[in-house]
Amino acid sequence: MTPAGTEPVAVITGAASGIGRACADVMRRAGWRTAGIDLNASDTGLSLRADVSDRAAVAAVVDQVAERFGRIDLLVSAAGYYEEGIDVADITLAQWDRMLSVILGGTVNCCAAVLPHMLSRGEGTIVAISSELALAGSATDLHYVAAKGAVLGLVKSLAMEVAETSIRVNAVAPGPTDTPLLAPDSLWRKPDYLATLPLGRLVRPDEIAHAVYYLATEGSMYCGEVLSPNAGAVI
Amino acid sequence: MALVTGAAQGVGHETALRLAADGFAVAVNDITDDGRLTQLAERIDGIAVPADISDPVAGPAVVETVASRLGPVQVLVANAAAMAMSPFLEAKPEQWWHQIDVNLSGHFRVIQAVISGMRAKRQGRIVIITSGWGVIGHPNATAYAASKAGLIALTKGLGRELGPDGILTNAIAPSFIDTEQLRVDADDAGITLDEMRQRYRELIPVRQLASAGDIAAAVAFLAGPGSSAVIGQVLQPNGGVTRTSA
Repeated sequence: MTPAGTEPVAVITGAASGIGRACADVMRRAGWRTAGIDLNASDTGLSLRADVSDRAAVAAVVDQVAERFGRIDLLVSAAGYYEEGIDVADITLAQWDRMLSVILGGTVNCCAAVLPHMLSRGEGTIVAISSELALAGSATDLHYVAAKGAVLGLVKSLAMEVAETSIRVNAVAPGPTDTPLLAPDSLWRKPDYLATLPLGRLVRPDEIAHAVYYLATEGSMYCGEVLSPNAGAVI
Repeated sequence: MALVTGAAQGVGHETALRLAADGFAVAVNDITDDGRLTQLAERIDGIAVPADISDPVAGPAVVETVASRLGPVQVLVANAAAMAMSPFLEAKPEQWWHQIDVNLSGHFRVIQAVISGMRAKRQGRIVIITSGWGVIGHPNATAYAASKAGLIALTKGLGRELGPDGILTNAIAPSFIDTEQLRVDADDAGITLDEMRQRYRELIPVRQLASAGDIAAAVAFLAGPGSSAVIGQVLQPNGGVTRTSA
């Protein structure tokens, strides 16, 4: 048993639902203290509400985490949303800007906020949630895929920037996962699509969380890695 | 239960220890048993099944022996490897084929032998230890790199072919690992072991060699319950060695 108050601390964005929530559950069950950043309340040790695309707001809540817990060992950047079924010509500038500011901007903002805390201790792990779609492309959701692809560039470069410290930056690129982000009529839920997957099913949120947990606990030799639990969608 | 090839030393040895600690009954294989294999088997309460996996008869026979003593193989860790360094034009055909026979064809046959048992239970994990050199290549190691790249393609093909049967195939591509091989490298280079370690560290962005335990942990993840949606992937716990740096 780790003495109370010394357990490692995970900051999880998007912790109120889906993959972020599953990450919070897995980390808590493993004995970690958890802080959730979300637009909504999360079932975490410290539930904080903030819009990840707002840099000042993110900095403020991350400082609250550090103040409360005294350390930040892990950032899981999972906050995001999804839009599908839009042809590229129909993606409005507003849709493009918002997608980029939440997914890419949100990841940048969170990395920028936690890094000083990690650098001061010389260690920490950042896991950004990207998408299998960023590895192989996808039609009718180009703005989402572009943002998730940009997250991979961010991860690989930040990983190199801090490589000589003990801070590790990696990505998890989930396949189609059974979360509220996938609408009931989503293309990715259709039996014809699922039948193309070697596993023949959607990924479960906890399967993403376990990949995050592995990177956080035994991943010190990964630097800019993209781990993709995707049910065989991209091999 | 798990079968680990190439387990007398290094990554295979550490992997056998880790899987045993995680609760697997473990069978360990290497080309011969000079005492280390038996010692390891006794330490983990497993069994030693020495054999040359490049032998078309002896390789698959390992799987039969293991199945008769511990039950069907549920986790196969394809780790055994042969390596010979030489400039491409000086590589002898027999060196080329030996590396292909052990690394690629040997495991092809061992994998064929484990599939029926895994299919019967509709579950299984195949973890293939390939190499960073199979991803990015390496001068004077073309046969080794080709064999390891072949294993990556094997991983992807098996992932697709066996996934519907509940059998998950994935690979790990390490780069510089702090194992007994470093002594060989140091002797080849005419420098001390510590100088060799330092030379390698300078090539790795995280300035740290992987330990055999790091690779064993990756195997444990791919063999364990947390990776049930990971299929046909190549994990690279290599400290960021994918490109030259400024």
